Amino acid sequence: MADATVPAPPASQGWQSARRRAFALGLAPSLIVLLAITLVPAAALLVASFTPLSLTDPAGTFHFRDPLGNYRHLLEDARFLGSIATQLKLSAASVALQLAVGLGLALLLNGPSRVLGAARGAFLIPMVLPPIVVALIWKIMFTPDVSPLHRALDAIGWPVRSVIANPDTALWAIAFADTWQWFPFTMLMVLAALQMMPADPIEAASLDGADRWQLFRYIVFPHIRPVLVVCGLFRLIDSFKAFPLIFVLTDGGPGTVTEVTNYYGFIQAFNFSYWGYASAIAMVILAGVFTLSWLVGRLGWNDHDKR
Amino acid sequence: MTSADTALPAHPLEAAPVAQHRAPRRASFVRRHGRAIAALALLAVVMFPFLWLVHLAFKPAADLFEDSLLFTPTLDGFRALLQGNFLRSFLNSLAVSTLSTGLSLAIGVPAAYALTRWRFPGRRHVALWILVTRMAPPIAFTIPFFLAYRWLGLQDTILGLALVYLTFNLAIVIWLMQTFFEAVPTALEEAAYIDGCGVWQAFWRITLPLAAPGVAATAVLCFIFAWNDFFYALILTRTQAVTAPVAIVNFLQYEGWEWSKIAAGGTLVMLPVVVFTVLVRKYLVRGLTAGGVKD
Repeated sequence: MADATVPAPPASQGWQSARRRAFALGLAPSLIVLLAITLVPAAALLVASFTPLSLTDPAGTFHFRDPLGNYRHLLEDARFLGSIATQLKLSAASVALQLAVGLGLALLLNGPSRVLGAARGAFLIPMVLPPIVVALIWKIMFTPDVSPLHRALDAIGWPVRSVIANPDTALWAIAFADTWQWFPFTMLMVLAALQMMPADPIEAASLDGADRWQLFRYIVFPHIRPVLVVCGLFRLIDSFKAFPLIFVLTDGGPGTVTEVTNYYGFIQAFNFSYWGYASAIAMVILAGVFTLSWLVGRLGWNDHDKR
Repeated sequence: MTSADTALPAHPLEAAPVAQHRAPRRASFVRRHGRAIAALALLAVVMFPFLWLVHLAFKPAADLFEDSLLFTPTLDGFRALLQGNFLRSFLNSLAVSTLSTGLSLAIGVPAAYALTRWRFPGRRHVALWILVTRMAPPIAFTIPFFLAYRWLGLQDTILGLALVYLTFNLAIVIWLMQTFFEAVPTALEEAAYIDGCGVWQAFWRITLPLAAPGVAATAVLCFIFAWNDFFYALILTRTQAVTAPVAIVNFLQYEGWEWSKIAAGGTLVMLPVVVFTVLVRKYLVRGLTAGGVKD
């Protein structure tokens, strides 16, 4: 690696240590700030999760008589356990849909034509839109009296009641909107992988008479599979943070059918002011996310650092 | 592979991929046409909800429940919006996003440079830790930040919000700028050292100007991430520092369903993002998929 070679030093030893000192100085502010804004809050969260801290008496409830009380309570809290099931359903559905749609579009758009190139850019729009705007867009689409879709269905004599007010469909409506927002991520990653694919195996296989499906199944797909796995994990991690869509579309309802763990934690903290309990919920989510991040790391999404 | 190859992979928006390699079996004009038509049809389907929101913003309130696309565009929705408190929150968004971007760059760019050029033991762990902070769920940060801000008096302030955004933007800067710095040849810096420059002098005079497009792209990305935030702003602001995304939801809740105002607000909020996306599309892609593709 070119940049691993150390520059020819004017005066070797002193220069080397001066250089190290300079770099350490450049790195230090970031590490200090990151320590202060990530590790310190994480530690505070952990401590808070051992207390019955709540808004009504923040000082008085800061004791450790029963440190695992919140966690014990979590195991008996049907609403919390339900929120995990909801989370898993939503995550599984939206990640699967995003991988499928993103992969399909990447394969469709992967060509040298100028139209396809322009379309590749336009398909990115949902991903960069402010999430709150995405939520507004789907609030409009899912609200019968203002939605063009509902009115069109009405016009052909097939009225459909609001999918976000219906307990059977609300979660799927959210998964659908989430997919609309995030399929470009998979699309981009797969397109990038397709571009880095060497041409030879494909040429060789087509000369050997492989058809399009065989080319895809035995050559293209194995090449992009690692990207799909990493992509799925990235989206899975992000799916635990789903918030604006749920906040605007359903507010966790109807009942609690769209109340994911993240949302339940939010309600416990900022509606009910049960800080200690909400901290325990956040710790559980944090543990899940870190496990997944570790998995992503293991799968080596960042090789150029290892070399 | 040289580092220049790995640091700058061809990015997905610039063509030249697989279909070309199938040249022996020359794709017919019709078939290529068919793909383009399918792509445009799908694009129309995907863009429809988005375009519907934009068109509602210009539709007179009286026509709102008509499906007809024939109407005289009006700016009433925007006017009503800007007469209220929305302008204030829009400016708050601008201030918070700019401040957060500036802070992230000021702290993160030197760190990224150090991580690129300085091969110290444990470097990989530091880089990984920085990236993982970005993965942490906001709920985990908001509870401690909310409590700390009440104590520090940073609640409902622009500075407070900009500081919280460092939790994700600092990681983005450090991570992304590494790929840009890796693309700058070290030979130029070595020449500067020999001429008597110190490490940071060489960085400031040689490397940073060469990486300027990367800095600009990173800045835009930070701005967008801060601009797009809803969760932190919802919890950490009240009246003074309310940002535009929160303001929209507030009038959605407290003023009933005024669709043209909602649509106008949504359109205004996404405007900067869409403009920036067009401007730095190429780099944006690299930022959004940073570290995601094995090379």
